[in-house]
Amino acid sequence: MVIVKRKELSLRERLYLPEVVRALSFTFRALFKRKITRQYPEEGLPVTEVTRGQPRLTLLEDGENLACVSCGLCEAACPAYAITIDGQETDRFIEREPERFEIDMLRCILCGFCEEACPKDAIFMSDELELADFTREALIYDIDKLKRPKAALQKRIDYFYKVNDRWRKPSSTS
Amino acid sequence: MATRTFEFTPGPNIDALKDDPVHGELMHLNLGPQHPATHGVLRLSVDLDGETMHNVVPDVGYLHRGKEKTCESLGWAKFFPHTDRLDYVQPLMNNIGYALALEKLAGLEVPQRGQEIRVLLMELSRIAAHLIYLGTTAIDLGAVTMFFNTFKEREKVYTILDAYTGHRMNNTYVRIGGVFADVDDTLEGMMREFLEQFRAEIDSFESLLTGNRIWHDRNRGVGTVSRSDALAWALSGPNLRGSGEPYDLRKAQPYSGYEDYAFEVPVGTVGDCYDRYLIRVEEMRQSVTIALQALDRLHKSRGGEILIEDRRYVLPPKHKVHTSMEELIFQFKIVTDMCLPRGEAYHGIESSKGELGFFVASDGTRTPLRCHIRAPGLYNVQAIPLLAEGRLFSDMVAIIGSLDFVMGEVDR
Ligand code: SF4
Ligand code: SF4
Repeated sequence: MVIVKRKELSLRERLYLPEVVRALSFTFRALFKRKITRQYPEEGLPVTEVTRGQPRLTLLEDGENLACVSCGLCEAACPAYAITIDGQETDRFIEREPERFEIDMLRCILCGFCEEACPKDAIFMSDELELADFTREALIYDIDKLKRPKAALQKRIDYFYKVNDRWRKPSSTS
Repeated sequence: MATRTFEFTPGPNIDALKDDPVHGELMHLNLGPQHPATHGVLRLSVDLDGETMHNVVPDVGYLHRGKEKTCESLGWAKFFPHTDRLDYVQPLMNNIGYALALEKLAGLEVPQRGQEIRVLLMELSRIAAHLIYLGTTAIDLGAVTMFFNTFKEREKVYTILDAYTGHRMNNTYVRIGGVFADVDDTLEGMMREFLEQFRAEIDSFESLLTGNRIWHDRNRGVGTVSRSDALAWALSGPNLRGSGEPYDLRKAQPYSGYEDYAFEVPVGTVGDCYDRYLIRVEEMRQSVTIALQALDRLHKSRGGEILIEDRRYVLPPKHKVHTSMEELIFQFKIVTDMCLPRGEAYHGIESSKGELGFFVASDGTRTPLRCHIRAPGLYNVQAIPLLAEGRLFSDMVAIIGSLDFVMGEVDR
């Protein structure tokens, strides 16, 4: 426990004007310091693989089919109810694929729970952050708007696996 | 202490003054809910006699989003992003408070390194939150330079959190049983660099305000609250300590290993706005000390676990989900059907505003039976009439600023 010291004003401080000059000198010194403001739309914030932007769906290596098997786990994990999935059977080797996969970007809070929940590496947070359109409907993204080649998300995937390295020991409770 | 009754109009003061030719008419004034000096959407109903305030009644609820009920319908883990949005200037602190309550309920012990990271994050959040207090209170009282300088520093904290969590605000990086990601060397370096230069910045903030005559005139002797009143009105945090009660949950009921850190609890003597300001500034210094100690520990505990290994609550790693059927089943079970044991738990942490507590009751199912959030801001708002009545209207801004609340948390 420390008792904070209440400062009594000295004569100089009570006179006020010298203090105004001192404070102004503080302000003027800032003129010559490096600017820290950012001209936002022209000059964006740096995005890295850590950045959690909007979620995107990954395509398989063939570049055509989604990695998603529409298991619905991301939908169940989403705290904002942003994801809607309708699954269907397919002849492809993964057997299931989404017929409809929509993320309502107006609802999405970029929490990353879908990415954590997905057992198929099918959904990852991209570094795409900007979101603007003229209608609400246009911001409900469907598969066409969501799919990205795996290479575009590779940095995030690598980062995610690195973070997952935290489990070093085998499971103790099962 | 005398009981107080709150009435909107006409209050008892109006009757007393009715026949007085000078003070005969009180003006009813609504301050807010869109007034910037109310730090959010707080409405204050005030009866003014000239410049003197009578019958101050805070009216909360303009930002009510039903967070407690949301928690009860969403389920345990999915509520984490919502806690970010309670006191939105310190999201990680709320995350940790909620996680601690759940861990208490489930009887989990967070690994050492996880606790160290949590302490570090809490202290960085505290610094960011106190910087907001300092900047906004100062700009409300006319010191615009302070606002820019504190926000410049806060931006540095947010840059660090951005590099760690991927978001500047609303981080959602705490999980039941630990934290999501480890703090690596680059981050350690960034944090150390920030903390070391931040001490000098605090001194420069102080050199602008502590001996400033306007700051003195507007803060000293304003909004004085005695120790017994502060206790009776359930104030906590810097507002309670300003009145001379050295109660800090980090010392009184240590959590996350706070008992192992060396730091001091600053207390005031008078209990006015000036004392509360001094305490917050001193708390930032103490936060720097704690954070540096936590960094030292992190340096030593490298490679340690940051999240418990418990397949009832913690998701298995991705590569195991791909290869092991067992883990895949756990993945599905935890995401869709994570249950906490029957019982109830309360955990309070020392947030930048005071005691932030989460009470959770469980009937053993996927969703909490009840989740209550003890938001320190609500108690701070509640004390406004006590501090403001009988004082000049211009003091209101200083009082609101120095009580330091965030409406997101007050209204929940
Ligand atoms: S969790 Fe993954 S595989 Fe399952 S539906 Fe979502 S994106 Fe598809
Ligand atoms: S990031 Fe969060 S809110 Fe957005 S879709 Fe994924 S789980 Fe839902």
